[in-house]
Amino acid sequence: MKPLRIALTKGRLEKDTVSLFERIGYDCTAVREKGRKLILPVGDGELEVVLAKANDVITYVEHGVCDMGVVGKDTIMEMGGSFFELCDLGFGRCKFALATKKGLKFYGGYGVKTIATKYPNVSRSYFESKGMDIEAIKIEGSVELAPLLELSDGIVDIVETGTTLKENGLEVIEEIAPISARVIVNRVSMKLRQKEIEQLLSLMENNK
Amino acid sequence: MKRYELITPEGTKDLLFDECLAKREIEKRLSDIFKSHGYSEVVTTGIEFYDVFSKGSRTVKQEALYKLTDSKGRLIVLRPDSTIPIARLVATRLKDAPLPLRLYYNQAYFENNALLKGHSDEVTQAGVELIGTKSRRADFEILSLAVEALSAVEPENFRIEIGNVGIFKELVAQLGVDKDTAEQIRYLIVNKNYPALGDLLDTFGDNDVIRALKELPRLFGKEEVFERVEKLFVNDTIKSILDDLKYVYESLLTLGIKDNLSVDLGAVNRIDYYTGLTFKGYLEGIGEDVLAGGRYNHLISEFGYDQPATGFGINVNACTSLLLKNGNAPKTSVSDVIVYSEMPDVMKAICYSNKLAKSGVAVENSVFETLQETKEYALQKGIKKLVVVADDIEEIDMKGGEQV
Repeated sequence: MKPLRIALTKGRLEKDTVSLFERIGYDCTAVREKGRKLILPVGDGELEVVLAKANDVITYVEHGVCDMGVVGKDTIMEMGGSFFELCDLGFGRCKFALATKKGLKFYGGYGVKTIATKYPNVSRSYFESKGMDIEAIKIEGSVELAPLLELSDGIVDIVETGTTLKENGLEVIEEIAPISARVIVNRVSMKLRQKEIEQLLSLMENNK
Repeated sequence: MKRYELITPEGTKDLLFDECLAKREIEKRLSDIFKSHGYSEVVTTGIEFYDVFSKGSRTVKQEALYKLTDSKGRLIVLRPDSTIPIARLVATRLKDAPLPLRLYYNQAYFENNALLKGHSDEVTQAGVELIGTKSRRADFEILSLAVEALSAVEPENFRIEIGNVGIFKELVAQLGVDKDTAEQIRYLIVNKNYPALGDLLDTFGDNDVIRALKELPRLFGKEEVFERVEKLFVNDTIKSILDDLKYVYESLLTLGIKDNLSVDLGAVNRIDYYTGLTFKGYLEGIGEDVLAGGRYNHLISEFGYDQPATGFGINVNACTSLLLKNGNAPKTSVSDVIVYSEMPDVMKAICYSNKLAKSGVAVENSVFETLQETKEYALQKGIKKLVVVADDIEEIDMKGGEQV
């Protein structure tokens, strides 16, 4: 039987997932000592871990070249796609929030508001649900700069502790959605390898 | 201005040689099955009025449609689906045809997908529609055809999965929520988004119906699903759907597909026109479902002709890529013979090659001016025999990679 292939979002979610695998009892030496390798065996060949950027985790799972993936809800909300989202792993917790310069009255006036964000789709659909038309500007780096430079009225971004915001004179005025790590599964793998996947999922659920 | 004359639009590709052969092979295998069961081919128009896909249960979301306008400014779309146009066809030109109608198709549909995600915007789909009967016999015929179609592509590693949207519809009706919320719930169930579904349903409190809805996406697998569901909320409507589904499941076992059969009660398809029994087909090695079908008893009536129907479509492109991947595809063959002559005898040479071609030999005419160039070309292409037509016919064997 070929191993279940699971794509992990490089970085913190990867580390948290690997710890979870170790709590389950899988041998993760190969991942811990990975060097530059991107495909790594876990356990006794029953799992194979692929390390990828968040967006790519979704792409690989959607196409079925990886059976499963661990990715943040933020990426799922922004990218969408067709897969099963089976389980909330509980780690990688943070939230999407709307922030503005401290003391600014965001909702006043008739003008269309400008939002700087790395997540234009999340921003659009959030304001669309309020019946509000906004101009979303995609920023790749530190989004906090945009309102300070007066490019935008506010930002929609991931907020963990809020320290960066505070230090730059910004404040959260609305929380948009909670975020955490999710297990996603390819729609066909789920059916063709149901037993293995359900078994792994329940191990993950019970050890999270 | 940048000109886009050397590339094809995102999501499309040209097919060459072996890819074409593999695709034609799949198309032939499928259409042979359909024809041998009494289905007749129809080809619907490549462009249709937008109105065909913008009302009732046949609404295709507008961002997925390729649109243009005709000379009168009316909105036209590239065909996004084949079943809806066939429903239109049945309700118009086939209105007086004797029933049941058995139709099959093999044509592309177009979908405007998000860029750069590796999805195809032009997909060839083959399928059947059995129109004019609600009979269980028709469902069995279609399901058996679906099994035959899948195993014609991949005899071992396929899966057919049945479901029924009725259970979801009944549960939502019991819950008594508005259309938008129902759609939200459906979306979460079809994506098996357990955490979000739980959160959403918790806002309605807790009762048997809510617990059943929460459990619905988890109810997939083999026969044991039928036992698991009985412990949840079951009223008369759901009971009759379940009994029926179980009957279908057990009947299908007669086809000898125990390992290839499963059920998913949470398969609440995005396509709205399905009214009852639905099914999907999967092939190992393809990351999306390759076959989808089911009963649609009201679609044709939306065009003014009330006829129940059932059918399915199978993704020819996906089957083709699997055939190519597994290495079972036919290979492009080189010509058996190349025919050359000096210019004055060229018509004689063409007549000679026509004769060969008629006798079933794959033959090509040399378009080179010299015998030498012809030989080089034949060696390069691996053509085994060269025929020189003059007053006599001279055959040169090229198999040994003759000295040029």
